[in-house]
Amino acid sequence: MTDLNTLQLTATTALGGTLPQEARHGALRMAENSGLALASLTLRRGTTQPAPFGLALPGPGAWGQAGRHAALWMGPEQWLIEGEGLAETDFATALQGQCPGCSVTEQTDGFVAFEITSEAGEAPILALLARLVNIAPDRLRPGMGTRTGLEHMSVLVIRRAPDRLALLGLRSAAATLWHALTTAAARLG
Amino acid sequence: MRLSGGEIDRSQTLRFTFDGRAYTGHPGDTLASALLANDVRLMGRSFKYHRPRGVFSAGSEEPNALVTLRGGARAEPNTRATAVELFEGLEARSQNAWPSLAFDALAVNDLMANFLTAGFYYKTFMWPRAFWERLYEPMIRKAAGLGRLSMAADPDAYDKGFLHCDLLVIGAGAAGLAAALTAARAGAQVILADEDARLGGRLLAESATLDGAPARDWVAGLEAEMASLPNLRLMRRTTVWGLFDHGVYGAVERVADHLPIPGAQVRQTLWRITARRAVLAAGATERHIPFRNNDRPGVMQAGALRAYANRFAVSPAQRVAIFTSQDDGHQTALDLIAKGVEIAAVIDSRAEARAMGEYRLIAGGQVCDSRGRLGLRAVQVRHGGGVEWLSCGALGVAGGWNPNLHLASHQRGRPRWDEAAQAFLPDTLPAGLAVAGAAAGQGETAAVMASGVAAALRALADLGLSGRAPALPITEARSLAGQSLWHVPGKGRAWVDFQNDVTVKDIKLAHQENMRPVEHLKRWTTLGMATDQGKTANVAALAVMAELTGQTIAATRTTIFRPPYTPVALSALGGGDSGAQFRPRRLTPSHAWAAAQGAVFVEVGQWMRAQWFPQPGETHWRHSVDREVLATRKGVGICDVTTLGKVDVQGADAAVFLDRLYANPMASLKVGMVRYGLMLREDGHAYDDGTCARLAEDHYVVTTTTAQAGPVYRHMEFARQCLWPELDVQLISTTEAWAQFAVAGPNARKLLERVVDGFDLSNAAFPFMACAQLTICGGLRARLFRISFSGELAYELAVPARFGAALMARLVAVGADLGATPYGTEALGVMRIEKGHVAGNELNGQTTAQMLGLGRMVSDKKDAIGAVMSRREGLVEEARVLVGLQPVNPGDPVVAGSHLFAQGAQQKTETDEGWITSACHSPHVGSSIGLGFLARGAERLGEVIVAANPLQGQQIALRVVPAHFVDPDGGRLRD
Repeated sequence: MTDLNTLQLTATTALGGTLPQEARHGALRMAENSGLALASLTLRRGTTQPAPFGLALPGPGAWGQAGRHAALWMGPEQWLIEGEGLAETDFATALQGQCPGCSVTEQTDGFVAFEITSEAGEAPILALLARLVNIAPDRLRPGMGTRTGLEHMSVLVIRRAPDRLALLGLRSAAATLWHALTTAAARLG
Repeated sequence: MRLSGGEIDRSQTLRFTFDGRAYTGHPGDTLASALLANDVRLMGRSFKYHRPRGVFSAGSEEPNALVTLRGGARAEPNTRATAVELFEGLEARSQNAWPSLAFDALAVNDLMANFLTAGFYYKTFMWPRAFWERLYEPMIRKAAGLGRLSMAADPDAYDKGFLHCDLLVIGAGAAGLAAALTAARAGAQVILADEDARLGGRLLAESATLDGAPARDWVAGLEAEMASLPNLRLMRRTTVWGLFDHGVYGAVERVADHLPIPGAQVRQTLWRITARRAVLAAGATERHIPFRNNDRPGVMQAGALRAYANRFAVSPAQRVAIFTSQDDGHQTALDLIAKGVEIAAVIDSRAEARAMGEYRLIAGGQVCDSRGRLGLRAVQVRHGGGVEWLSCGALGVAGGWNPNLHLASHQRGRPRWDEAAQAFLPDTLPAGLAVAGAAAGQGETAAVMASGVAAALRALADLGLSGRAPALPITEARSLAGQSLWHVPGKGRAWVDFQNDVTVKDIKLAHQENMRPVEHLKRWTTLGMATDQGKTANVAALAVMAELTGQTIAATRTTIFRPPYTPVALSALGGGDSGAQFRPRRLTPSHAWAAAQGAVFVEVGQWMRAQWFPQPGETHWRHSVDREVLATRKGVGICDVTTLGKVDVQGADAAVFLDRLYANPMASLKVGMVRYGLMLREDGHAYDDGTCARLAEDHYVVTTTTAQAGPVYRHMEFARQCLWPELDVQLISTTEAWAQFAVAGPNARKLLERVVDGFDLSNAAFPFMACAQLTICGGLRARLFRISFSGELAYELAVPARFGAALMARLVAVGADLGATPYGTEALGVMRIEKGHVAGNELNGQTTAQMLGLGRMVSDKKDAIGAVMSRREGLVEEARVLVGLQPVNPGDPVVAGSHLFAQGAQQKTETDEGWITSACHSPHVGSSIGLGFLARGAERLGEVIVAANPLQGQQIALRVVPAHFVDPDGGRLRD
């Protein structure tokens, strides 16, 4: 019994597996990104805008990256900070250290993240977006991101590059979101 | 009969069946044209009188030729044969006829026509009232149906999507093509949509040349250029069927309707198109001229005859007559003659009419009757003071053209009557929409194209783009002069609306009965209703009404149009969401673990929660639930409570903010402690309850009920952003981020001691209502709250959600000797009722803190949302309070929803003393128990009252008891 008590717990991914799921349809490859750490950052009254991990915090509708860290504008003086491959670290505490006086909240497991890449440039990404979200392509150019509705769910859509897209949705609804995503991609063929 | 030429591919033959008989056609045919090619004129029976009907049009306005397409689960009723592309193996059946299309027993209705007039149903089926729902309505529906559903689930897949463009061009006829070309060459993002499989619209139906060549050549050249423009999206087989707010257009793309089965493709896609500008170039619909017995198979629009001859290479008969009040009708005669069809005569109502070719002209004549039971054999013509019967198998009727301005009306824009054009034209237009071509009342091809170009140039200018008018082809000039003839006066029935069997007589009757405003006329006669929405009927009906009232058509006005332009399958509107994918499903972190344990799940909003965990040998859900309850109260139970809403509240003013939000004080809460909190609505009623944990001076985590997680978060954001923007407070939901488990029961502490990393859980170090951030299982960050919903010694333990499933498994494994038992929502509910804790049933939006026994929580030492209103007279005087209820006879059930009455009292609204909100079987008490609101309940402990359940005829004697059935002093949870 003693062994069990001190044995570390094993994480499961949002889709319920021990390893992230992947799928490929035509030129599109999509994968669950279970390594993405997330924390929200909000300025408090009187604090100056920080540059955590060297990130220039982006303005409305924008997303910016510096190394393995990235930031998405979420609202006035509010950002979602990403840390690639840092999901199982105490990312919120690390971020708090970079942003003294700001409000920081752990969000890593608040979301499931799906990374979508295209092997045929941006056309398949744009075609997929048209099936998924009501966002005009010119509002989702590379370096832009937004919160929007997808199949009655609230999601974050981030255009990381012309051929790369990230979808962040409710972790609990990961299976519904994955179904929507893979169904749409399969239909594009 | 098949003619020469046309746009059909004779190199391939397609086989199809209609009412079980085999026929053949060619690619390029519609079902209607293929049937005509096989000399089938009879295609359906009319709605009310079961009159034989044939095809009337060559487009989506078709009122008559409605068939059930395909078979089995794919059977689709009311499909317009004119809009179905022929495919190999197509199977169609006629509707509304029994036993056969040629001999329909219900045609007896036609003999009773004098009784079945407008308003017949309203006048006849009035008494007795109860008969309407049970007898009359089912009977009428059976007799007057338009097709039958297969009643099987739709086997096909449907898709949806979103498109954005600078310019949406609706209709790819002459005007639409010109508009799209102009805008696309200027670099605008353009979508060109047409309901047809082919581009060209009416150009394909006419013999007129463009640049001296057949119009199809010009269209083909354009298609090649359009295909090379990346900024132009061509959407064939796509009907733009509705205009909605903010320039959003609904469109259905029929992806696979032209195929036998969709295969791997979706059948249809519903597109929501957001267009900065749009050009409506939907063309026009030819109107007919009602005369006696004008509904026989073979009587059709003259323009449709032309379309069948020129595009589809068919004619419904070898000998055809034309009845016209327009020069345009003569063109049909010329085109048919060119194809070798014999013209019996052109009957032109205008005395001054001149023949345009070699055919017999009856100028100043009118068709006043027809013959032919299952198809037209002859028409009677009145001219020169006499009458004459002319034998013919088809009659083309040309009464002028009505612009297809439907979409311009979808935002309540009312068209205006244009006397010169003798048509309704768009008046006030929705923002961003322009109308061009025949839809704007243009007739000549050159003018139609020019108006498309002009509309595109205006749109480009609005968008800040510069464009140039393209070189347009040289067109043939054709005379479009005409004179309106709204109906041929005379006895007998002259049909105005074929689909609803509305005649000129019906309109006269409506007029006599004072149903004169057009809106009344429409509803009294059902004119313009059903699947064709009166596309071929509305204007003629208004004209007849105008004639009867002696008003102009302009003064008579018109009804407006609503979406959809043509029928849209509900499956398409549903966008393909069905079954398990009908709506998002949220799974708790321990879902997979619970499923592996054989848990039974229940939907709680979008969440799937474990309801109970059946064990071998348990044959009834009560066995499982009772076991889970008893095991928890005796040992320790574990329940996934992740679904409760969690909101992180930070900032210098977090305490002030929560003090204003909750009725009870929160600023005074010490760091490291939790407090139960009650939120009120602005009107003073109870809104939601939960807990508030203070992790630091400027950091709280509050919880909400599962059902109100979203609304409460929204309410908090509203308060933060709108009510008190001056406060320094930051909110964010963390519901999903943390998996949270209730660990309840006398062994809860012992169990947790086995997983925490050296954390002192003693009562002194971590008392009731304490909270802490700690680590468990060798360094995993976690949060622990000592709170209890069950009334037992209990904790809630939270870890990052990805570790939730492992934690649940670990707790059950390491607690086996302590009796660790997973429990579901049912046991959770039983235990909270036993403890007298309120939940959604009690917090139903109509109850107050005082009713809930929480009146003293509403602090009078501070202000909070709802506090003042909770003190208003009406609420303070409310006498009903929460009590416990126990059956006098332990075997009796307690039924939630039952109303409470004093013993011996007459049971009526005035003597109603309250109701039962929650009930369950309590394994602890050994009988059913309940919670309820009872007038003056606190003073009535021990009294026996009656729970009346009139729905099930139950009268049950209940004893009023305190609302705490277990541990009323709360000793266990503080232990």
